[in-house]
Amino acid sequence: MTTRHPFSRRGLLRTSAGLAAAASFGAPSILHAETKTLKITTWGGKWGDIMKATVLPAFEKEHGCTVSADQAFPFVPKLQVSPKNDPLYDVLHTNSNEQWLAVVDGLVMDKITAKEVPNVADVYPYAVSDKIVGVSIFTSAIGLGYRTDKDITPPKSWKDLADPKLAGARGGYLIPVNSLGQCHLMMLGKIYGKGLQDLDAAYKALEQLKPIKLVDFTGQMEKMLLSAEVVEGVIHDSGVYRYEGANRQPVDFCSPSEGVMALEQVLNVAPGSKVKELAFAYIDYMLRPDVQKLLAEGVWYSPANKKVKLEAKYDAKLLTTPEKVATLIQPDWKWYNARKDDIDARVTKILKG
Amino acid sequence: MSTPLNKQPFDLGKTAYLGLNLLLLAFLLAPIAIVLVFALNPTPYISFPPVGVTLRWFVKFFETGDFMRSLWLSLWIAACVLVLSVVIGGACALALARGHLPGRAFLTAFFMSPLMLPAILTGLALFQSYLLSGIGRPVWGLIMAHTLIAVPYVLRTTLAVLHNFDRRIEEAASVLGASPVRVFFEVTLPLIQPGVFAGGVFAFIVSFDQFPVSLFLVVPKGETLPVVLFNYMKFDLDGAIAAASMVSILLALAVVLVLERLIGLKAYVKL
Amino acid sequence: MDQSVGLRHDGSRMPAVVARRPSPIAWLIAPALLLFVLFFVLPFAVMVAMSFFSSNPISNPNAVLTTRHYQRFIEDNAGIFHDALWETLRIGLVTTAVSLLIGYPLAHWMARMQSRLGHALALMAVITPLLTGIVVRTFAWMTILQDKGVINTTLISWGLIDKPLPLMYNEFGTVVALVHIYVPFMVLTLIGVIGRIDQRLEQAARSLGAGRLRAFAEVTLPLSLPGILAGSLLVFALSISAYVTPSLMGGTNVLTLPMLIAQQVGTSFNPGFAGALGVILLTVSLVIVVAYNRILARVAGEQGLA
Repeated sequence: MTTRHPFSRRGLLRTSAGLAAAASFGAPSILHAETKTLKITTWGGKWGDIMKATVLPAFEKEHGCTVSADQAFPFVPKLQVSPKNDPLYDVLHTNSNEQWLAVVDGLVMDKITAKEVPNVADVYPYAVSDKIVGVSIFTSAIGLGYRTDKDITPPKSWKDLADPKLAGARGGYLIPVNSLGQCHLMMLGKIYGKGLQDLDAAYKALEQLKPIKLVDFTGQMEKMLLSAEVVEGVIHDSGVYRYEGANRQPVDFCSPSEGVMALEQVLNVAPGSKVKELAFAYIDYMLRPDVQKLLAEGVWYSPANKKVKLEAKYDAKLLTTPEKVATLIQPDWKWYNARKDDIDARVTKILKG
Repeated sequence: MSTPLNKQPFDLGKTAYLGLNLLLLAFLLAPIAIVLVFALNPTPYISFPPVGVTLRWFVKFFETGDFMRSLWLSLWIAACVLVLSVVIGGACALALARGHLPGRAFLTAFFMSPLMLPAILTGLALFQSYLLSGIGRPVWGLIMAHTLIAVPYVLRTTLAVLHNFDRRIEEAASVLGASPVRVFFEVTLPLIQPGVFAGGVFAFIVSFDQFPVSLFLVVPKGETLPVVLFNYMKFDLDGAIAAASMVSILLALAVVLVLERLIGLKAYVKL
Repeated sequence: MDQSVGLRHDGSRMPAVVARRPSPIAWLIAPALLLFVLFFVLPFAVMVAMSFFSSNPISNPNAVLTTRHYQRFIEDNAGIFHDALWETLRIGLVTTAVSLLIGYPLAHWMARMQSRLGHALALMAVITPLLTGIVVRTFAWMTILQDKGVINTTLISWGLIDKPLPLMYNEFGTVVALVHIYVPFMVLTLIGVIGRIDQRLEQAARSLGAGRLRAFAEVTLPLSLPGILAGSLLVFALSISAYVTPSLMGGTNVLTLPMLIAQQVGTSFNPGFAGALGVILLTVSLVIVVAYNRILARVAGEQGLA
């Protein structure tokens, strides 16, 4: 298998020739005798496996640097404590809501443009919209996952989760700790009230969803669905699609008619980074079509780069056209985070007992 | 000892007592049986009843470099923590029990306090101090952090044994002319050994299983096993996690057995 | 505070002992003190200092001194913090009591066991839960207790119940999983103490006509009080600071202070409020521990057991 990964010699030559800017970032670091270290954060699990096995070694080779990838959560509190002029991470990879919290303390840059990262020119608008600090390199769609073998009507709308038959067998995410839960809450405001920011309607709707099983980690809902502990629940498409194929499971994903929420994988650079050019080069590299394709097909994330061509199987399910991308709803995290404490307290009170 | 007449109810009580204890052991072991089922079950998620038997998760565990590296690191750290905390905690217990220190109750409560603080805060506080003082995150920093959490266990278990300790034995030894050092090594130490041993077992396990403190203090490529497992299962909760758990149970039990050979658990059985 | 120096005597059980000066053995406390000052007191002091800042003064130069984190807890406008504190302590107390009830018979049985092999096997069985790893172990409990878990599936398939019993997503499930992991601490602490009690004392009591239970209650039990104290303090301290188990087992029905702290650190990035909650939890639990120490010492009629 290792001989067939897309990081062929030819591919590397082509891209380094094609991307003059990237090469000019990389070249000085090769000329220097000492190797620079790029400190990044990244996910664990399958994503982490692909990163460590292929993506990061290829980047190190290309830029003559070493990459120190931290997978131990939580990243932002660690960055918060480290000195601004010598940050613990050069590149911070988190979901969008955490980037918005980090930018308040000046821990990350507020905008990344095609000037620093040339491949930003090729991304879908959502990836650098005003709802994003940094740049989104992938996105998942938050919708509803359901069992296909438990005799339930496949959902079409977000409202279907409130079906009384699902009492105790519906699932979602803990709102204070998981951004999927936060997205779901805002969606409740949209479908039962005046919009994403109609919290009163959202609280009322949440009350109606009790009893509901709420989980903490992002990967936990797929386990709840797979073991049928939850029959229908809030989940991101990747958590359902990745079980298809070889070990096909009786679960499926629904993109509700009201639209799906975006779960973005956002990269951003710490302003005080001592290897800023390398940090930009890394983001550029992560947006490169070959890298995007590899990771997208590995974990079923929709690539942010418009030029990526996925295999038909992935192309059919993931958000790979402007029309499909248009169904994504991006919440206003700045607005949400400003109210997070109150919302946390309120929903805790609603759900308890 | 007992007459045949009262032997009958005596035995009934004894059988009930045995049955109760076996039931309690079953309670302790039930989840471990489940973990074993996960480890051998071929589906990539926890399911019951199991659908088959496979060793693929064990293969995956042994083939994954991160798992193996972190397993050895965790064992090594736990061994260092064991030694350090037994020495520091044992000495501290003796000082508290025999040193006629003022404010003993306060000191004892003070030494217990790392256990009462949620470990995530201890981790954050240590991380903060390490960064502020510029020492970064060396392995010894992690070992000291684990030792801090392990000492209270050694202290408590040793103090408990010291309390029931008949001081007249020590006094008799001194009266008979033994030097304080000799009294310590030949009388005190053997007598407090069960407490120190229990504390040592705790220290090893607490370090080996420590997660929230390590979370802040590990560096990339220097993660301990619980941190690697946690990061892994946040995304992919498959049988490799259960296999990792089974392997660490066996390894840690082996360590405990070696300790038993070295120190001797018979101290527990007959005292 | 217990200001006993050396042996204190209550009543007339022991001849008066003159308070002694610290003996040279007191110096043995030095390494522990050094460790605690460097790796606990100083870091904790930084954290306490942070809890009086509006935001992290290291990353945010505009941070100002404030008591608002403490006010936020005390005022508790949302009505969740006080409940969380009470729930934390309640879970701690119940877990401790149940662990003692389960741990004592096991420890007694093991301490009195004659067979070396049997003892080694039992000891391994007791230690094994501690080696499973916190998250794996909790997931195992979820598999046993959840609605589609081992127990509910079995009972439903036998036709004994038609709706799953509420074994998880509540305080019950939380306590079960906590007890499971803390019983070994109780057992190992008690074994050392019970094993040191001279069995002949109990035999003597029986030969004087006491029944088996009475001999136990009047001889063995009081003599094992130091172990009970040590074990319950360990378990109590551990269960009030646990957060992984309650957050996985408790669902939305359980909210403890350590869970709130973890939320503040990990997802709200508010170390100041997290620090304040930590200070509050530590203060409350130290008060309980010291009170417990004194009460038990009084019951035992002996010098401070602490």
